[in-house]
Amino acid sequence: MDQNWTTLDTDLLVVGGGVAGSMAAIPALEAGLKVVICEKGRVLDHCGSIGCGVDHYLTVMDTGPEWDTPEFLIKHVPELTDGIVDMAVAGRVIREMPRIFRKIESLGVDFRDRKTGDYYRLRSFGLPGTYHINFDGTDFKKHLGERVRKGRATVLMRTMVVQLLTEDNRAYGAIAFNFRSGEWYVIRARSVVLAAGDVNRISRNASGLAFDSWHIPYNTGDAQAMGYTAGAALANMESVEATLTPKGFSCQGLNALVSLGAYFVNRAGERFMFKYDSKGENARRAVIADGVINEYLLGNGPIYLDCRHLPQELLDRMEHTLQVDRYTLPAFYQQKGVNFREELVEISVSELSIRRSGVYFRGSGLAVDVNGETAVEALFAAGDCATVSGGISGAAVLGHIAGEGAVQRVRSTTGALPDPDRQALEAVRARSVAHLGRQDGMPWKEFEDATRQTVTDYVGVRRTEKGLQLALETLRALAKREPTLRADDLHGLMRVHESRNIRQNAEIMAVASLARRETRTGSAHRRLDYPQTDDKNWRKFVLVERGPEGPVVRTLSTERPLSDAFARRAATA
Amino acid sequence: MADAKPHNPIVINAQKCVRCDLCDWICPGDLIHHEEGNKDKLPVVAYPDECWYCGLCQSVCPTSAITIVFPERMIHNRTDVATLLGKVVE
Repeated sequence: MDQNWTTLDTDLLVVGGGVAGSMAAIPALEAGLKVVICEKGRVLDHCGSIGCGVDHYLTVMDTGPEWDTPEFLIKHVPELTDGIVDMAVAGRVIREMPRIFRKIESLGVDFRDRKTGDYYRLRSFGLPGTYHINFDGTDFKKHLGERVRKGRATVLMRTMVVQLLTEDNRAYGAIAFNFRSGEWYVIRARSVVLAAGDVNRISRNASGLAFDSWHIPYNTGDAQAMGYTAGAALANMESVEATLTPKGFSCQGLNALVSLGAYFVNRAGERFMFKYDSKGENARRAVIADGVINEYLLGNGPIYLDCRHLPQELLDRMEHTLQVDRYTLPAFYQQKGVNFREELVEISVSELSIRRSGVYFRGSGLAVDVNGETAVEALFAAGDCATVSGGISGAAVLGHIAGEGAVQRVRSTTGALPDPDRQALEAVRARSVAHLGRQDGMPWKEFEDATRQTVTDYVGVRRTEKGLQLALETLRALAKREPTLRADDLHGLMRVHESRNIRQNAEIMAVASLARRETRTGSAHRRLDYPQTDDKNWRKFVLVERGPEGPVVRTLSTERPLSDAFARRAATA
Repeated sequence: MADAKPHNPIVINAQKCVRCDLCDWICPGDLIHHEEGNKDKLPVVAYPDECWYCGLCQSVCPTSAITIVFPERMIHNRTDVATLLGKVVE
C-alpha cells in the first residue's frame, strides 16, 4: 500500500458513534475483538440523533403485569405500524428489550426518578402501555461512550466513511478520510456495522436554514447510500417523517410537553386533535403531525401549543426537562419573548426526514434480518438507518443485537481478508479530491438547495405520479452534476459527500413513493392520486435495490420477513 | 438560500474565552476551529451557516464565554407553513 494511505485491520468496523454504534461496539469489545469506530463528530458522549442527552426511554420491563410483557407489546405492533413491519425483527427487538435495559443500567445509567427513587413511566405516542420512562438522561450517552473507551476501541474522529469494501456480496471494510487532517484510511474488517443514523437536510423548513433541523443535520443518510451502493436492500423508504416544532426553530421538545398534557389549538381556538384520533394528543406521533398538516391545509392555521391549563408542578417538570432534548430551547423562547406557561406557542411542521415516519418498530432504511445483518453478508445496520427502529431504545437494542451478530460473523469467518484493488482505491480517492478547488464547479449548498426544493414540492406530504416523475427527472439531472461539485476545503469535501448521499436518498424515496400506489400512515405516505389505504394489495414492503440503471423496486408481502428477499439467503439455500 | 453574510450564531466573548479547545472538540458539525493548545488565538466559527443551534459549545464552555444568538428569521418567522407542504401536480 502507498505511504499516503493509512491501513487498519480490525475485527469490527462501526460507522457512527451514536447509541446504535456504541451499543454494537460493546458486545464486540466484551468478546475481546478489535473494534474501529469512525465518527464525523469528535465525542462519544452525545446521542447521534439529537446531539444531547435523552428524556425518555421506551422499554418493556417484564415487571409482572401483562401489558409489561414483550408478547403483549408484540401483539400490538401490526396496528402501531399500520401493518407494514418486519415482525421477525421487531419481535426480537421487543423480546430483547428487558435484557438490554438491564445492561444499560449496569453501565451506570440511572433511569429512576431522583425524587421518588422509582421509574416514572408514561403512556405516550399511542403505545398500549406506560412504556416510556421519563428521566433525566443528560448523561445517558456518556455512560455508553465510557464503556466503549474503556474497552479500548480505536475511535477515528472527524472521519467520514465514503465507500464500503465488498467482494462476492460480502463486506470486508471501508474507505474513509479525516476531514481535518486529510488522512485517507483503508480499514479492513471481518464485519461492519452501519449506524450512521437518519436522513436530514432533505426538505425545506420554516426558517429556510438547511441546518436548522429537528434531528441532527449532520446525519445525511451516509449508511443508506453506501449500503445501497454496496448492494444492500432498503425498505420503507417511501415513509417520511415530520414533527411539530416551535415555529422558526426545528427542534424537538414539543412531544415531551404533549405527553405531559399540553394540547394543540387552531386559529379558531378549537382543540382539533380528536377529529383525527380518538386518543387526541396521545395518538401516535405520525397521527399528530398529520393532524396539524391537515389543519394547515384546511386553512385553519396558525396552530398553537397550549400549556396554560396545566398545574404548576407539571409546568415545572416541563421547564426542567425542556433543555434535555435541546439545550438551547429555553434560550430560543427567551429571545423570542415567549413564556409557554402563560402564552400560546405558535408551531410549525418541521422539515421532512427519512427515519421511521413517527412510528415505532418500522424503520426506513437498510433491511436487516433478526441479527441485524443486511442483504450483504457481514454488513450489519442498526439505529435510524435500519428497518426496525424505535428511537433511543430501538437503537440501543438493535445496536446490541447487531454487535452480537457481528461477533458471530467474525468467529465464523476464516482465512485472510481480501486485498482491496489498489487502482479501485485510488480511483475512489481521486474522484473525491477532484471536488477540492474545482473553481468552476457547482457549490454543494446550491446542489443541496435544489434537492431540498424538489423534495419539498413533489416528494413531500402530497404526492402524485406526475409530481414524483418530475422530481425523479430533476434528481437524476442533479446526479449528473455531482462530479462537478465544488469543495473549498476538506470540511467542504465532507459536505459534498453528504450532499451526494442526501440526493441519493431522495431519489430512492421518490422511487419507492412512486411504487406504493396507496396512502398509508397519513402524511408519511400520502398519494393524492391513491388517497385510500389499500390493505388488499399493499400489505407489502417496497424494497429498493441498486440496478444497472439506478434504483429498482421489488415488493414483498409483510407476512414474510424482509430477509426472505436477500440474495445471500437464496445463494446459500 | 444562504445570506450574503451569514448570521453568526456562536458569539464568543474574547475577554472571557480561555482558548481551551473544548468548543472545537464538542461541535458535532465541525464548525468551530481552534488550533490545539494555542492560547493566543480565539476559536473561529468557520462555517456559521452550518450551525444546528444545539448549544453544546455553550454548555461545555468553562467560562461561559459563548452565547447562542438566534437570527431574526428563526425568532420572528413569517413563513406560510402551507408552502412547506408541497405543490399539487395533477
